[in-house]
Amino acid sequence: MKFTCSQKKFLESILTVQSAVSTRSNIPALEGILIETENDVLKLVGSNLNLSIESHTSATIQKEGSIVVPARLLTEIVRKLPDAEFEFTVLANNNVKITCLNSIVTLQCFSADEYPALPDIAESQPIEINKTLLIDMIRQTTFAVAVDEARPILTGALLEIDGKDVAMVCLDGYRLALRRGVMDTPHDSVRVIIPGKSLGEIAKILPEDDRKVSITISERHVLFDLGYTRIISRVLEGEYINYSQIIPEDYKTRVKVDTRILTSSMERASLIAREGKNNLIRLNIQDQKMLITSNSEVGQVYEEVPILLEGEELEIAFNARYFMEMLKVIDDPEICLDFTTNVSPCVVRPINDHHYTHLLLPVRIYS
Amino acid sequence: MKRTVFLVDMNAFFISCETTRNPELAGRPAAVAGDPKNRSGIILAANYEARKYGVKTTMLLHRARKLCPDILLVPPDHAFYERKSREVMELLSRYSPVIEQNSIDEAWLDMTGCEALFGPPLESSRRIMAEIRRKPGLMCSIGISENKFLSKMASDMKKPMGITELWKEDVPEKLWPLPVGAMYGVGTQTAEKLNGLGIETIGQLACFPEELLREKFGKGGTELYRLANGIDPSKVTPHAEHEMKSIGKSTTLSTDIRDIAEAEKTLYRLADSIGTSARKHGKKGRTVQITIKYSDFHTITRQKGIRATYLTKEIYTAGTELLRQNWNRNKPVRLLGISISGFDADSAADQISLFDTPGGEQSTKQEKLERTVDRIREKHGVFAIRPAILFADRDDESDS
Repeated sequence: MKFTCSQKKFLESILTVQSAVSTRSNIPALEGILIETENDVLKLVGSNLNLSIESHTSATIQKEGSIVVPARLLTEIVRKLPDAEFEFTVLANNNVKITCLNSIVTLQCFSADEYPALPDIAESQPIEINKTLLIDMIRQTTFAVAVDEARPILTGALLEIDGKDVAMVCLDGYRLALRRGVMDTPHDSVRVIIPGKSLGEIAKILPEDDRKVSITISERHVLFDLGYTRIISRVLEGEYINYSQIIPEDYKTRVKVDTRILTSSMERASLIAREGKNNLIRLNIQDQKMLITSNSEVGQVYEEVPILLEGEELEIAFNARYFMEMLKVIDDPEICLDFTTNVSPCVVRPINDHHYTHLLLPVRIYS
Repeated sequence: MKRTVFLVDMNAFFISCETTRNPELAGRPAAVAGDPKNRSGIILAANYEARKYGVKTTMLLHRARKLCPDILLVPPDHAFYERKSREVMELLSRYSPVIEQNSIDEAWLDMTGCEALFGPPLESSRRIMAEIRRKPGLMCSIGISENKFLSKMASDMKKPMGITELWKEDVPEKLWPLPVGAMYGVGTQTAEKLNGLGIETIGQLACFPEELLREKFGKGGTELYRLANGIDPSKVTPHAEHEMKSIGKSTTLSTDIRDIAEAEKTLYRLADSIGTSARKHGKKGRTVQITIKYSDFHTITRQKGIRATYLTKEIYTAGTELLRQNWNRNKPVRLLGISISGFDADSAADQISLFDTPGGEQSTKQEKLERTVDRIREKHGVFAIRPAILFADRDDESDS
C-alpha cells in the first residue's frame, strides 16, 4: 500500500474518526485507525464497536491496500508534520513509513485483518433531514440523557419519525427535553433509541451547512451519512418510556417571562446556590413578579423577575443546575412556565410555537 | 487579638438538679440512679458527699450501697434536666452571644471583648458562678483561657465551684505534668497507643516529634501535638448540630430475652425514638446499624445500607432484617441498640423523580403519617399516640 496525501486533509480525516477510537480495548486493533484505499480515495475508520466513524479523503494512490495505525501516535505525528504532501508506504511486517520533506517516521502497525468488520446496514429508504435541524435537536435534548446506567435505555435519545414530523426526546427522571421538527421529505413511521454519547459525537462532526443528512435505520444500528463521512452507531434495544403520558396537559399556574431576564437572574442565583450542598433555588410566584432566591453558607441572592401570571400563586424549588441547563438551550425570547403544584412537574415551552417542551421536576422542600 | 474563652461545666449536674427541688438531699450522700429492678441500675450522677465514700458514675447500685449504706437514690428525670440545662444556657447567653453547648451540662463562651461590660475574666466568671448558684441553684466550675481546649482542661482542674485560669504561658507548668489520658479528646484507646510510644504525660507529647505522630495517627497526630502545646484555633461555634454523625439509641433489657418477637418490639420502640429525633433534625441516614449484646457481654454490630430516610418504618424494617439474619436463639440477649448514620448532605430538600419508586407515593404517605404523630406527641406527650404493638408493655423505659 502506498499513497501521497496533503498533511492538512489527512489530519482533518484523522481528527474526525479519532473520537470514535477506543482508548482501551481488548481488541488492540481497535485502538488504531483503519486506513484503506477505496478506488481513488482513502478511507479512514475509527471504532469502539458502539460507534464507528468513516471518513473519506482524496489522495494519490500508487498501490492499493489497508493497514491499522495506532491512533494516538498517528494523530500526534501527523499533527506535527509540516504543512506539505507526505508519502505513506506500508513495508513488510506491517511497518509503515511516513516521509514528509526531510522527515522519515517508521511505525509498527497492525494488519487490517485484525480489525473487526463494520456492521452492515441493510439498504432501506433513508430519512432525509436538514443538518441544522438535526444539530438543534441534539443540542436541545441530549443534555437531559441519564448519566447513570440504572436504566440503560435512558442513556439514549429517542428519535421518532412519522411522515414529515420528527421528534427527539431525552429524559433522566428529573427532567425531560422534547424537540419537534418538520422534514421536507416524508418517511414511514419509525422509532429508534440512539446513545446520547453517539449523538454528542455526531453533533461535533456535523459541519454547519444547509446540506441534508441521510439516516438509515437497521435493527441494531443507525447510519448517519454526511457524504464524505459516515457515522454508524449501535442503537439501544428496549422500550422507551411513553413520554407523552408524563407531560401534563393542565396547569394551575402559568407564568410568561422574558427568557433573557430570567436566565440572567437564574445565573446569579445559581452562583450562590452551587456553593450550597443541594444547589437549590426557590421560586416565589406572585402576581406580576417572580422572586428567585438562593442561599448557602457563602451568601444569598434575591431576584425579582417581572412576569405575567395566569392562575394561582405558588412557591416551588428546583435544582439550579437542571434549570440552567434547560434555559441555556432555549432560543426563544419569551417562554411560558406551567405549574400544577410544588411537587409536580413544571412544563416549559416557547410562547408562540410548540416545537420544544421541557419538563422539570421540582425539589421537595420541608419547612 | 488574644481571645478569652470560658468553659462553664455544671458539677454533678443531675443530682444537683434533683437537690434544687428536693432540699432533703442537700448535705447528704445522694445520687441519681437507674431503677434497681432493672439491670440498668447504675449510678448516673453522685453528689460530692457520696463521692467522698468512693461512689462513682456508672458504678453498679449494690456496690455503691456497700460503700455508702445511707446513700439516697433518686430515679432519673431527663426532661427535668433538659429544662434546667436550658435555664443555664439562657443565663450564659446573657454574658456572650457566642456560646457553644458541648453537652447537657457544659458550654463554651467566647468572652473576647466583654471586659468593658463585665470586667476582667476572673470577675465576670465569679459573677456567672454566683448567678448560677442563686437562680437555677446549681454548682459549676469555670475554666478560663484563650482557646476551647485550654479552657476545657482548666475547668477540670478545680471542682466543684472552682475558677481556673490556664493561659498559654501556664501550659508547661500546669498542663504538662498531667497524664495524656487526662487530655480532652484523648480516649482510652489513644492513650494506650501513646503510652506504647513511651508518652505518659502531656509534656512528653508536646515534645514528641510532630512528624512521627502524624505518621502514627494521621491528621489527628498533628492535632494532638498542637493541643499538647496549648494550640487550638477552633472557634466557639453556636449549634454544633450540623456535625451530627449518627443518631442512635440502645436499651438494656429488664431480663435477657431469647424471643425474637420480643426483640422486634424493643427494636420498634428504639427505631421510633431515633426516627422522631432524626425527623426533628431533618437528618436522613443511609446506613442502619444494630447492636446486640449477649448475656455473656459479647457484643456484635451489624449494618446495612438503605435509601436515605428518617422514617421510623423504614429504619425499623432494615433493623429487623438485620436482627433476623443475626438472631441466635441459643444466646440470650441483654442489650439491643439501633442507629442511623451516613446522613445525606441535605435532607431538607428532595429532588423529585419521575420514578419515585419503590413506593414513592407510599413513602410520602408514611412521611405524612409519622410527621402527624410527631406533632401529636409534641402537644400531648410521647404516650399520647403509640403503635399498637407497643401497648402491651408500659413498663418504664430505661434507655441510654
